Amino acid sequence: MLGYVAIGIPCGILGDSIGLSALQAFLLSALFYSGAGQFMIPNMWLAGGPIASIIASVSLVNTRQMLYSAAFAPACRGVKKRLSFLFAATVTDESYGVNVQKFSEGEWSVDRATMVNLFSQSSWTISNVVGVLIGSAIGIPLAIAAFAMTSIFICLLVTQKWTPENALAALVAIVGVFVCKMLGWSGPAILIGAVLGVCAALAFSWAKGRG
Amino acid sequence: MQLMSWTDFFIIFICCAITMLACRVIPLFVLKGRNLPEGLEKALGFIPPAAFAALVANDLLDPAMFDAGIWPAAAPLVAAVVVGLVALKTKSLLWSAVAGVAAYALLTLI
Repeated sequence: MLGYVAIGIPCGILGDSIGLSALQAFLLSALFYSGAGQFMIPNMWLAGGPIASIIASVSLVNTRQMLYSAAFAPACRGVKKRLSFLFAATVTDESYGVNVQKFSEGEWSVDRATMVNLFSQSSWTISNVVGVLIGSAIGIPLAIAAFAMTSIFICLLVTQKWTPENALAALVAIVGVFVCKMLGWSGPAILIGAVLGVCAALAFSWAKGRG
Repeated sequence: MQLMSWTDFFIIFICCAITMLACRVIPLFVLKGRNLPEGLEKALGFIPPAAFAALVANDLLDPAMFDAGIWPAAAPLVAAVVVGLVALKTKSLLWSAVAGVAAYALLTLI
């Protein structure tokens, strides 16, 4: 839980640095509710990405939620639709980890899992709003704030599972971003790089499967 | 830098919130416990490493980065290595951000 506060406050501060208000941070945290996504929006905005490219890249990163959603389907069998919906709509990377473990230990129910989700969501939302207020009160140099975002992405990158396929995906994505920038396509560079990386890894795993 | 207007904010917010909600809710109701198609599951697994690598590369690399001399471009790279090591050691977003900001501030002050 402390993790949400510790990351939510910097996330709010960064939102403030691109001109988001406390109300906007509240809306994003409560209804969009994505740590990586909420760091990506200011990051890509600062990088000058076009809006369509920001939306596509953020949505692409968030497709991993489909894996979590699919994983919880068996636990929600026979549970009321409204509760299942509320539960599914409030899953995140962290609360997914907690709930998967609890479900596998047994004696865990969807309503308790939903409470975990809602509690996480509230702490995330409050911390983001507090972050915006702190940011607007003290004014942090943009270069420093931007590097805090970069650091978060580095951490998310190096803590991935390092299979050969994932390493290839990352490498091709890096090269792809660099080549896009050389061609002057800095706006959609992140999106193009990431898609190329995924394609390369898929091609590699397909070739390996046949080999 | 241009600050984000309410219009821009609303477009980004609504679109991202809708795709996010769809990804969170639809598989649970549609699949009813069946697995995702294997190819899709694989592709979804490759997205995080590719996307985070692209984000990091976008922040750190630029074809013209060494035009102003080696050090202005190398300082963030050195700070990034520090963050990478801290991240591997602690697996903590918070410590990574703290280490990154500290290393970056120190190196750019030199």
